Formats: sequence, structure tokens, C-alpha cells
Amino acid sequence: MIAQRGKVRVITGNAAAAYGAMLCRPDVATSYPITPMSEVAEQLSSFRANGLLDTEMVEVEGENSAMNVVAGASMAGGRVFTATSSWGLSFMYDAVQHAAGFRAPIVMVIANRESPGILAVSGGQQDIISVRDTGWIQLIVEEGQEILDTIIMAYRLAEDHDIQLPVMVNYDGFYLSYMATGIEIPEQADVDAFLAPLKRQPPRQVLEPGVALGCGTHGIELGFVELRYRQCVALERAADKLDEIDRNFGEYFGRSYGGQTDEYRMDDAEIVVVASGGAAGTARVVIDAKREEGVKVGLLKLRMFRPFPRRRLAEALKGRKAIGVIDRSVGFGWNCGPMYMELRALTPEIGIVPMLSYIDGLANLDITIPHIARVVDEVNAAAQGKPYQEVTWIPLEQ
Amino acid sequence: MTQQKKKPKVFEYFRETKDPYAGGLAWCAGCTLELTARFVPKVLGKDIVLVGCPGCSAPVFYGQNLGTWHRMSYFSALMTGVASSATGISRYYRKAGRDVTVVCFTGDGCSADVGFQPLSGAAERNEHIIYITYDNEGYMNTGYQRSSTTPLGASTSTTPAGAASRGKPTSAKNVPLLMAMQGAAYVATATLSHLDDFAKKLAKAREKVKEGFVYIHVFAPCVMGWRIEPDASIEICRMAVRANYFPLWEAENGRFRLTHEVASPRPVAEFLKPVRKFSHLKEAEIVEFQEMVDQRYAVIKKLCAVE
Repeated sequence: MIAQRGKVRVITGNAAAAYGAMLCRPDVATSYPITPMSEVAEQLSSFRANGLLDTEMVEVEGENSAMNVVAGASMAGGRVFTATSSWGLSFMYDAVQHAAGFRAPIVMVIANRESPGILAVSGGQQDIISVRDTGWIQLIVEEGQEILDTIIMAYRLAEDHDIQLPVMVNYDGFYLSYMATGIEIPEQADVDAFLAPLKRQPPRQVLEPGVALGCGTHGIELGFVELRYRQCVALERAADKLDEIDRNFGEYFGRSYGGQTDEYRMDDAEIVVVASGGAAGTARVVIDAKREEGVKVGLLKLRMFRPFPRRRLAEALKGRKAIGVIDRSVGFGWNCGPMYMELRALTPEIGIVPMLSYIDGLANLDITIPHIARVVDEVNAAAQGKPYQEVTWIPLEQ
Repeated sequence: MTQQKKKPKVFEYFRETKDPYAGGLAWCAGCTLELTARFVPKVLGKDIVLVGCPGCSAPVFYGQNLGTWHRMSYFSALMTGVASSATGISRYYRKAGRDVTVVCFTGDGCSADVGFQPLSGAAERNEHIIYITYDNEGYMNTGYQRSSTTPLGASTSTTPAGAASRGKPTSAKNVPLLMAMQGAAYVATATLSHLDDFAKKLAKAREKVKEGFVYIHVFAPCVMGWRIEPDASIEICRMAVRANYFPLWEAENGRFRLTHEVASPRPVAEFLKPVRKFSHLKEAEIVEFQEMVDQRYAVIKKLCAVE
């Protein structure tokens, strides 16, 4: 560990996000209030009001403008930060896609909340799913410290010369957003040093007065295809880059999170539970208990949803006897969990084994210890050749 | 001995003599947007950062793949994100301690309709940006559909005059007046028939933007959409001013002033006549149109009288 130990404060996940952003010294920050994220904006405004944060804060009149403000500032050369949730993300959807298309290295946190369709002021990951094809890098974290640390890593990832893509850092709204835990706040000098390698990279192309440069230029036919290809290749590169940054973060701050995925008690696991976000924390408790009972179960936490960590997942899941996937969202048109649906696409690499989809935790329902215990039991039974149900909406059957 | 012709005053405002556009470049014949696009950098200089969106100006400003038709810095926003992207650009330069003039350049479809929310937001926050609207009174690039600045009675492809329709049933949104009411640092109307006035306002904009938000609304007839003759577009600008259909005014920090007061205004029928999008209007409808013009002009006159 190179960095000094930081002060530990008991703060909410939202505050952790604000601290993470502040430590990265954004030039321009913006947001529009929405439950359960508003506290991030309030905290940043308060840091600025108290002279702790030297940034241009733009109090916009809507989320669409929030995304456009940071996109413009980013292409002018600035480091930028914004935050939103659910419908806010929907309202900025055109700008979200636009920003990724012209490769603006924006970092945005999303306190996940239900959407779209039925109005629900409650937690869920449907907003992550609704933007999975926008070309952004999508990271999902499990707890407060990871929120703060991942934001710092997200800047290293977004602004890396080989990547230059926007990053979403997702955490469970209502759960992690409002839950206060002890969080170590790194020293400013250490964060500066950790981000310093970005300064040694070739400068990225930015808007320069009097210099012909089209940002978001109209691409057509082969010109478009080439730009799109480069965007896709850069997105693919982000997977290994995250692992590298995560290792580097560990050497620096003494905390690392596994990069694309985190594996828990997976070495000899015969069956695996796949989960993301706060549910992974609960799953760890269940797995410990089931291990006591002699069930060889492990947890695979999905930290990166875009790019989809295909290789890491295939390596981790190959040879297991059965897999259960917990989604906090639905895959419309497939009637199963979206993460489950994507994992199913890895069947040729993983092998044909029972894969079970569990939909739980929609609209603030808790993904409880008994719920996950049920998942483990059913996946275990399926591994032993017993008949199983492919898709289970846990709250409806509990 | 031939007498030296006096150089028009407008040249005094020019910062640039070199054309920032590629040779051979042209919009439609008689396009007033083209003249506006060429005129603006002459006065503001080409060291500006332009922010625009899809529309008639986009095919030139956007460039295509690796090609471009101008030598200026351009940010292509979506129609929803012009004033907001410009906000971000301007704020970053401010943070970096750089004095850069950021100029939004869009049609009325963006500023009056889908981009109005961010425009209004930027004006309220008093962002240091210049926003120029070329108002051709509708969505000319997508095929002459109505926008909210399309005037009363105009026949467009989405408000066509017919057996059961008299064209657009409502009046135009007065965007420059709304911007002035929001307390922008500087708001002005301008058009291509009065270039001295236009140049003076652009030069003022470049100074006033140091105080905050600047909005310039340019009346820009469209040859294709309005169905006018290609050589008539400038004359139609002049007729719009002379009929008080498009009065030339400015508002500095909420103080209104007519910059070109018309001594004896012409009947609006003279302006309507060569514009074929109005050719279906009957006498009674022209009277109604005249009343609308008079009422709008009276409001501006009253505002100019406020001390």
C-alpha cells in the first residue's frame, strides 16, 4: 500500500459518491434532483459552498441538459461529473447515446431505481438495463466504500487514452444510497497521485477555438462504420483495463474489488449464484451458511455489465454443475432476468448445465437471506438432476 | 474623374476578411441562412466555438466523416442539447481561465420548440453564451413542417391550407421577447436587409456576452419552404421590417429600444403577397393578420417606452 490511511466517516452511499467525485476534482459538475440520488447533488453543492470543491456547478433545468452540459464540457477538455437515476436517465437518453458516440469520457453515478412503465419511487436495476446498448461502460457496486473507490477508478478508465468512453457507476438506490456505513475517505494527495498517470498519456482531441474539429460529426457509410467499429473495440478493451486499474488501486490504497467480476468461495464450488449490487452482500452471508451445511456453493458478483465480461464469466462458470442468476430487473420479451439472458448466451463456453433465473428485489422488495437460501437450494437440487423451473419471480411465489 | 463609392458602414464591424468556408460551397439559391452563416463569423471572428444541431445549417457545419466545409470549431449537439452543450463548453473554458466566445447557431425548430427548455434554462442561469436563431418559421430542412414560430395562417406541409384548413391556426411564439422577459443581458432581432443594424448587434453581443446570456433572433426567409423567388429573399426581409411584421429592436438588461423605427409602416398585405405560403389567405384573414402584427408591434413600442 502506497497511500496513507484516510479518515473514516460514517456517511451514506450518496455522500460516498459525492466524496468520490470531489476527490477527482471535476472541472464541471451538474445534476438535476431526483429521488434517490438528490443527496449527491446537495453534497457536491455543499462542498463547493464551503470552498472544498473548485468546480463549475451547473444547476440545470432537467436531466437532458445535465448530460449535454457535461458532454460539452468534456469535449472542450474538462473532467466532468454528473449523477441521476431512473426517469432522469430516461430523459437524457438521446444525450447518453450521443456522448458515447463522440467518446466523451464522462463519469456518471446512478442510484438505481425502477423504470420504465409503472411509476415506482423505489429501488431496482431496470434503469441499468434500459441503457445497456448506449455504448457506455457500466459498473455495478455492492457497498458504500466500493462506490467511492469505483468513482476514482472510473476516471482512470474513462479518460484512459485507449478507452475514451463514458462510465456509469451504479449502486442500489434506497439501499446503498441512503445507508450510512463507515467509509474511508482517501487523502486528496493520494487520489491526485493515483490519477496522475492520465496526465502522462497523449492528449485527447478537444474543441479548440479556431481549429476545425467536428464533435459528433455526421458519419455516413464507411466513415460511420469505421467510427462505430473503433467505439466497439474501445469498449471491449475496457474489460481488461478495469482489471488493471483495479489491481493498481489495490496496490495503492489496499482495497481492490476483482475488476470485472468478484468471486467468493468459488475455488471448489459446484454450484454458483450470480448476483450484482447490494444483493451480492446478502448472498455472501447465505453462501457462508450453506457452506456450513456442506453445500459447495460460490458467489460470482457481476461488477461490469458493459462490456459484458464474457471471458471472465466463461472461465469462472465452466465446469460448474448448475447456476442461479438473481436479477433486480426484467427482460421484456424474454420473461426472464436480463443478466440471466446474457449469461445464457455463454452456454457454448460454459457447457450445458441447468441455469435458473430469479427475479427479485423489484420496487424496493428485499432480496432477503431466505430468498437467496431458496435459490441455493433449488440450484443445488437442479445440479443433482432434479426437475427445476427455469424462471422464478421470487416475490410472487414466496 | 469617377467618384470613389463610399464603403458601406457594415465593413467597419468586420473582424475577419478571410472566408472560413470552403470554396464552391452553397446552400439553396437565395438562402438567407447561408448569408447569416457567412455574416456571423465576419463580425464575431472565426476564433469562436460554434454549437449547432440538425437543421439546414447542419449539412455544412457538421462535416461528413473526415471532411469539412469550414475552418471553425464546431460542436454538433442534438436538437435537445444546444444551449446546454454550449453551457458546458463555456463553463469549462471559464474554469480553465480562457476567454472564448461560445456561439449557438440553430434554426427556430430548435430554439422555439424542442431545444426551448435548455435555451430558457441557459438564459435563466445567465450563461455566458451567444445564442443566434435563424428563424425560417418552420422545419425547412425536413420538408417545411410547421414549428412554433410559424405565423398565423401559414400553409406548411403539416398545416396545409385546404378545404377544411386555413393554414396554421395559432400565432408564432415570440422567442426574442421571451428571452428579454427572462432578463438576458442582451436580446436583439436582426435580418439580412439591414446589415448595418445586424453587424452592430453582433458586435455588441460579443461585448455583452461578458455580462451574461445573449440572444439574437434573425428573420431568415426560406426560398423553398415559403415558396418565394430566389432573388426575392432579401427584399422580403425588408418588407417584413417595413410592415412592422418583424420589428428591429434590442433589449439591454431588460431595457427595450427600437433600433430601426419605421416612419410610415406599409400594410402587411404587401409582405404577404409574394410569399406563397400565405397565398390562400382571404381579405378578412389578412385583416386579422394585420391586427396581430399591430398588436405585437404595440407591445414592443410600449416596452420601449418603459423608463
